[in-house]
Amino acid sequence: MPYSAEALVALLPEIIGAVFLLVVLMVGVFLPGSVRVVGGLAAAGAAAVFAAATWMFASGFHGTFFGGGYVVDGFALYFKLLVAGCAFLTVVACLGWARSAGDATEYLVLILSVMFGATLLVSMRDLFGVFLALELSTIPSYALVAFDRRRRESSEGAMKYIITGAVASSVLLYGIVLLYGTTGSASLPDVAKTFSGPQQPAALLGLLLLISGFAFKVSAAPFHFWTPDAYQGAPATAAAFLSVAPKMATFAVFLRVLTEGAPGEAPVWTAVLAVIAIVTMFTGNLPALRQTNVRRMLAYSSVAHSGYVLTAFAAWQGNARAEAVQAVMIYAAAYAVMNLGAFLVVDIVGEEAKSFNGLVRTRPGLAASMFVFMAALVGIPPLSGFWGKLWVILSGAGSGSVLTYVTVGALVVSTVISVPYYFGIVRGMLLEEPVSSEVVKKGEPAGLRLAVHTLAFLTFVFFVGIAPLSAVARAAGML
Amino acid sequence: MITTVTIFIPLLGALLMLLLPKEFEERRVRAIAAAVAAVPLALALYVYFVYRHDLGAPALTQNVTWVSSLNIGYRVGLDGIGFGMFLLTALLTLIAVVAAWDVRRNLRQYFALLFVAEVGMLGVFAAQDLVLFYVFFELTLLPMYLLVGAWGDENRRAAAIKFFLYTFLGSTIMLAGFLAFGILAGSFSFSALEGGGGLSRAAQVAVAAPIVLGLLIKVPAVPLHGWLLDVYLSSPTSTNVVLSGILPKLGTYGLLRVAIPLLPQGVHPFLPYIAILAVVNILYGAFVGFMQPDLKALVSYSSLATLGFILLGASAVNTVGYNGAVLQQFTHGLYSALLFVVVGIFQARTGTREISELGGLVGRMPWAASIFAIGSLAAMGLPGLAVFSSEFMTLLGGYDAHPVQAILAALGIVTGAFYFLYMLARVIFGPIKNPAYEAIQDATPLEMTAIFPLAALLVLIGFFPGLLVVVQHHAVQSMLTVIGGG
Repeated sequence: MPYSAEALVALLPEIIGAVFLLVVLMVGVFLPGSVRVVGGLAAAGAAAVFAAATWMFASGFHGTFFGGGYVVDGFALYFKLLVAGCAFLTVVACLGWARSAGDATEYLVLILSVMFGATLLVSMRDLFGVFLALELSTIPSYALVAFDRRRRESSEGAMKYIITGAVASSVLLYGIVLLYGTTGSASLPDVAKTFSGPQQPAALLGLLLLISGFAFKVSAAPFHFWTPDAYQGAPATAAAFLSVAPKMATFAVFLRVLTEGAPGEAPVWTAVLAVIAIVTMFTGNLPALRQTNVRRMLAYSSVAHSGYVLTAFAAWQGNARAEAVQAVMIYAAAYAVMNLGAFLVVDIVGEEAKSFNGLVRTRPGLAASMFVFMAALVGIPPLSGFWGKLWVILSGAGSGSVLTYVTVGALVVSTVISVPYYFGIVRGMLLEEPVSSEVVKKGEPAGLRLAVHTLAFLTFVFFVGIAPLSAVARAAGML
Repeated sequence: MITTVTIFIPLLGALLMLLLPKEFEERRVRAIAAAVAAVPLALALYVYFVYRHDLGAPALTQNVTWVSSLNIGYRVGLDGIGFGMFLLTALLTLIAVVAAWDVRRNLRQYFALLFVAEVGMLGVFAAQDLVLFYVFFELTLLPMYLLVGAWGDENRRAAAIKFFLYTFLGSTIMLAGFLAFGILAGSFSFSALEGGGGLSRAAQVAVAAPIVLGLLIKVPAVPLHGWLLDVYLSSPTSTNVVLSGILPKLGTYGLLRVAIPLLPQGVHPFLPYIAILAVVNILYGAFVGFMQPDLKALVSYSSLATLGFILLGASAVNTVGYNGAVLQQFTHGLYSALLFVVVGIFQARTGTREISELGGLVGRMPWAASIFAIGSLAAMGLPGLAVFSSEFMTLLGGYDAHPVQAILAALGIVTGAFYFLYMLARVIFGPIKNPAYEAIQDATPLEMTAIFPLAALLVLIGFFPGLLVVVQHHAVQSMLTVIGGG
């Protein structure tokens, strides 16, 4: 019964997202200059998606729809919540900028489109569906990166992003086609069945290409090089949003494809991902040490964090499978709050590391929030990043695989390597004198400030929510 | 409940400090901070007088499950092994507040950070859960980084980040070990993990290796001590009190309360090497300390040497050695805090820490110089002062388990005595080398309140070590019974 009423409920967050997307677009066209209305609608849209996903989550709604290609379960809903939450805060944060840039409607529509694509993406259980939804969230991302036409870096970053993104999509599609050709199905459970049969080199090649394609999308080494340029070029709020919401959704569907599509091949892909994870951590953290531009630094840091998440992927074996899924989920939430916040602070203070100097004198509240984000990104308890890393290490420790132990060891070393650059900011803020007498002005939009402080609060009180969150993740993570 | 209250009262104090109006005069801020710091001390003393005989097993506990699927909990309690340090933390924080006279800028923020660090330190000594232990352990890191980095001398920023990197590396390695241990054993509660938590010998060794390594960096054990000197030298006096008096004990306490009791078989193969590291610490500290031209550096290295005896006693894992190690944690804290404060006073008066430039101070500042002499004699291990009994116990216990190492360690006492006496002869006695010192004043009443109690305790515990042994020996005994030592 592909078109039952239940299927409509299953699509509720996406339907709401699409409706608001169109409404925002129309209102923007017919009421030009009414940024407040458009912004309010966009925020309401993200909030409504969040509410719908919450309601479905709370009522335990689950099932597979449309011939098994679309799945609604706790895991998918959890990531929809996360994406919608990030979109809401981004919309709130970006209104002031979008108003001054003059294209508020377009900007908001693009953010809502990315959100729409990402919420669809996490429910896909069919390889072609995965591909379509992934493109649906990626193509608006290109436009977001290129959005700031007044800056040359914006076009440059977007160009690099589009070209590498197109290559990644082709590689991904090629992998999907190979898998489809050898297994005769694009549905993940069917692919898994065929995989558990005789070994097929073509299918394995397909799997590896698929992994490479996803590695591009989540900016894992050696496919990460677009990240710093894209995040530096994009408008700050767009960089903030892109570094968390679509990335976490991609991680979610990546994990689903691997665990549902190729559980029998776990020894292969966990090994491949362990190596990728190790390389990614260092290719993220080492260049980050040299950056003087905070946005580029945070971009490299986000590469490193992809490596940490992939460590949990590599731990999906032995008795640690449930913990590994849990780790990805908890890490995603922890990372979302701290990274989004850090990027938004950069939007207020400025891109140059020097502009953070002496911030505690001029803007103590902002400095406190940034301090929380930086310490959380390092992974210092009791902040959010610590719990993410804790679960990753827990799952790695339970995996019983030597390669995963090595990956966890690399995570530990890499975390320590990352301290100097995060603390370079902290040191500048707390211990250095302001560079110029010109203080960071308090002129930023209230929404941006509100979003930053909300995220800092969430990052800080993450430990309160960790018990329920882990229970939720445990229940939802039974893939 | 009283445990939790004691741990978190400083946090309220930190908030209070930040909320104090800016126009409050300095003296009132200091007085309020001292009052705040006195509360945990009063509570800890109350526990001492009421419960000191009943700390064989964790008492005054509180158990709240935090993450049920992994059996992580907020579990705190006071037992004999940790209580001495719990008490000392409260005491030394108060001393540090009093001794903060060289902190002039941003006083409220300084005290707030000190109190946050106190929460972490008290928490470590009361934690009964591995994850909670780690959280408290790490909670001390950021405040200490900022205390050194913002209020230290001109080299402070490099020193602060060095300190942070070393200790963060250590604690992260330790965390990996903790998590592997907890997940293999199915619980993070100390009580469930006692004696190995059901892990095989090989698994215990694999888990113990990172934990022991991480803790040794924290102590620090030579050759993992690269951060020590820069940080000690750069810190303001009152930070030194905590930095040398309490923080190294997070490492030694981790060995005494976590690594050895919870992973007895895992730590066992490492014990002879820990004893060797102990000897290296003692001899290295003594020889390098002897060559320091800077008084504060000399005290820092002597502190390193004394920490070696804690490691020696711990590595013995027998009644005498273990009791000595637990006691030495306390006595080391007393004397090193005392010496750092007096060095700070000397520096404030004379403007220098160079041993060669000082001289004849006893004539000008008899009180401060005498108390400095008491601290130095205690550091040498002179009988009648606190360090003697604990050091002697670690040597006795150490001799039983690792005779060669213990004999070498005893050499360290001789060296230590030599260079401390030599230093005293040059700094306190002898002629006054600089005519400007003729006019310097003795310690003020405020300064005396910081150092006199420490000196008095050194003498008191020197004559009556039983005052502290009564707290700890039941706990040590029951722990050794569980792990089959003694």
